[in-house]
Amino acid sequence: MKRLMTIIISITMFSLIGCGGAAESPGVTENEILIGNVQDLSGPMKELGKILPAGSNLYFDYINDNGGVHGRKIRMLVEDAQYNPQKTVVAVKKLIEKEQVFCLYNVIGTSPVEAVRPLLAESEIPLIAPATQSGTMSDMSRPAAEYIFPTDTGYDIQASILIDYAKEIDENAVIGVIYQDDDYGENVLKGVEESEAEMGITVQKESFQRGATDFAGQVMNMMKGGCTHVIIAGIVKEPIIIMKTAEAMGYAPQFMGISPTMDHRVSLAAGTAGEGFISANFAPLWNSDDNVPKLYRELCEKADVPEAMMGMYHYYGFSTAIVLVEGLRRAGKKPTRKKLIRGMETFNNWDGAGIQPLTYNRNDHGGAEAVTLIQIKDGIQLPITDWIK
Amino acid sequence: MNSLITDLAQEIFSGIALGSIYALIALGFILIFKATEVVNFAQGELMMVGAYVNFFIIQGIMGDLHVPTGWMFLMGLVGSILFAIVFGWFLDLVINRPLRDESVFSIIMATISMAIMLRALVSMIAGSESLVPQSPFGGAYFNLGGVIISVLDLTIIIGAIVLVSAFYYFFNKTRWGIAMQATSEDPIAAQLMGVPVKRVYALVWIFAAIVAAISGVLLSPRASLIDTNMGFLGLKAFPAAVLGGFGSIPGAIVGGIILGVIETVSMGTLSFHFHWVKEINDIIVWIVLIAVLMIRPTGILGTEEIKKV
Repeated sequence: MKRLMTIIISITMFSLIGCGGAAESPGVTENEILIGNVQDLSGPMKELGKILPAGSNLYFDYINDNGGVHGRKIRMLVEDAQYNPQKTVVAVKKLIEKEQVFCLYNVIGTSPVEAVRPLLAESEIPLIAPATQSGTMSDMSRPAAEYIFPTDTGYDIQASILIDYAKEIDENAVIGVIYQDDDYGENVLKGVEESEAEMGITVQKESFQRGATDFAGQVMNMMKGGCTHVIIAGIVKEPIIIMKTAEAMGYAPQFMGISPTMDHRVSLAAGTAGEGFISANFAPLWNSDDNVPKLYRELCEKADVPEAMMGMYHYYGFSTAIVLVEGLRRAGKKPTRKKLIRGMETFNNWDGAGIQPLTYNRNDHGGAEAVTLIQIKDGIQLPITDWIK
Repeated sequence: MNSLITDLAQEIFSGIALGSIYALIALGFILIFKATEVVNFAQGELMMVGAYVNFFIIQGIMGDLHVPTGWMFLMGLVGSILFAIVFGWFLDLVINRPLRDESVFSIIMATISMAIMLRALVSMIAGSESLVPQSPFGGAYFNLGGVIISVLDLTIIIGAIVLVSAFYYFFNKTRWGIAMQATSEDPIAAQLMGVPVKRVYALVWIFAAIVAAISGVLLSPRASLIDTNMGFLGLKAFPAAVLGGFGSIPGAIVGGIILGVIETVSMGTLSFHFHWVKEINDIIVWIVLIAVLMIRPTGILGTEEIKKV
C-alpha cells in the first residue's frame, strides 16, 4: 500500500513538472533555452566532435555572460552518434522526446541529417545550421526541408563557382574533376554537370574510393586529357597526394578544391607541390581582421582556448552559434518552434555571423550561395577573392 | 602508342609500390596464420601503431637532439622495431596465450576486439587529429625513360621483397622456421618432439608486429597523413593474402602486387579508354579474386592442405 502511494505521488509530481514545462514551448523555461546537438564523439569524425561544440559554447558562454537571449541563457546538450545515420535517429529522438529540447542545431553529416528528416517533420522541430555542406540540405522539394536552415554553400554550387572562376582566369581552361565516389562527390558532380550544360563544356571526371592512398591513375588521366585546371573533391589527404603525384610527374595544372580541402594541413604536408592551390571557403579566415574573427580570437584568448583547437572548425562552431542566437532573438520574447522558423525566414542577406551572407524565406532555405577563394602562397593561405557567387 | 606504354609502365610501377604495402600487411597475416592458424584481424592496427610510434620518436628526437635527418629516420625505424618486439610479445601474452586452448574463432574475435581497442587507445594517447609525417626522401624521384620512379616507392618495393625473402628463408631453411611449421600442423606433437611451443608463439607474434611496424613506417610518408583509421588498409591486404594463397609467404607479395597493379591500371589507363571500367573500379579487385579462387581455390601459390579428421 505504502509503495502504491509512493508511485501515485511520484506520478502526480512528474506530471505536474511536465505541466509546468508544457505551458510554453518544450525546452524553454523562464531563464533557459535548451538546444540539442548531435556530434560524432567516438566515430570516424570524432576529431570534429570535440572541436565544433567547443566553438559553439565559446559563443553561447559569451551571450550567457551578457544576459542571454531575451533574458534566457542557452544550454546545449551534445549527443554522440558516431557519424552514423541510425544512431543519429536514436540520438535525435532522445533529444526531442526525453530531453525536450527546443530546437536542433549543428547535427553532423549529410547522411545522418537525411536520416532524421522524418523526425523533424513529425515533431515540427527546426534544425539550424546542420554541419554538412551538401546541396541537398537546401533542396526544398525534399521532406522536412521547411525545418532545415543550412548555413553553408552547397558542394554543387561550390563546384560551379570554381568552374566559373577557372574559365574567368583562363578562357581556354580545360577542366577536370577528381571526386570521392560517395554522397559528397555526387553532389559535386551535380554542380559540375549543371555548369557543363550551361557553358557547353565537357569536364573530365575521375573518381576515387574513400580512403584511397594512390592517385597515379587519376592524375595521369588528367594529364592525358590535357586538363589545365583540376578540381579536387576530396578532404585533406587526397589533395596532398594528388598534388605530390602530379609534381613528381612534372604535371602542373592549377589545382582547386572544394571547401573540405581548405585545411591548413594541406599546405603543411604538400610543401612545394601545394603552392598555388586554390580552395573554396565558406567563411573569412578565422585569423583575418574582420569583426567576427576578431571577436572570436578575443574570446579564445579570454577563455584560454588551446592553440591546437583554434582554426576553421572551431570557428565554424562559433559562427553557426551566432546564426542560431540571431534566430532565437528574432523568434521573440516568447519563443515557439514556429516563431523560430518564422524568425529565421526573415534573414535577408544577413552577414553578422562572420560567414557568407545568409538569406532565408518561406520558399527558399538556400541560405548561402557564395564562397571566397583561398590560395596557398609561400605556404600560407591567403584570400584572393571577395564573396563570389 | 609509345606514350601508352610509358603510361602503363608508370601505373604498373605505382601499383607495385601500392601492392608492396599490401604485401607487407599480408605477410603479417600469413606469419601468424602459418604458426597458429589464427587470422589476426588487428594486423592493420599493428601497422597503425608502428606508424604512430615512429612519428613520435622522430618528433621527439627532432625536438630535443637535433640529429642529422638521415640518423633521425634510422632511429625512428629502429625505435619502432624495438617497440614492436615488446608489443608483439605483450600481445601474445594477453591474447594468444590465455585463449590458446579455446577455438580459433575465440582468438579471431579477440583480435577484432583488439583492433577496435587499439584505435581507441591510440586516439586517446595521440589525439584524434591526423598528423603530418615527414618523408625521409622528401619528394625525391628520378626519371627512367619517361617513367617517374619515386625513391620512397622504390624503397617500399625493395623493403617488401627483402622482408618476404627473409621470412621465406627463415620458415623453410632454419630450425626455428621448421619448428614453427611443425607447431602449426600439430602443436601437441611438436611439443612432444621438443619444440618450445610457447616461445614459437611469442616469436611469431613478435615477427608480425615487426613487419607491421616496418610497413607503418614505410606507408606513412606515402599516405601523407597518419590517423587512427589507416589500419583499415588491412582489410585490403586480406584479399591480397587470399589471392596469393593464404599461408604462402611468397604468395603475399604476388597477391599484393597483382591487386595493387589492377587497382592503379583500372583507375588509370583502363578507365581512360573504356568508360564503363570506371563504374566497376571498386569491385574489379573482387572479381579478379573470385575468378582466381574458382580456378585455384587455394590461391595462386597456396598448397592444398589435407587434414586427417
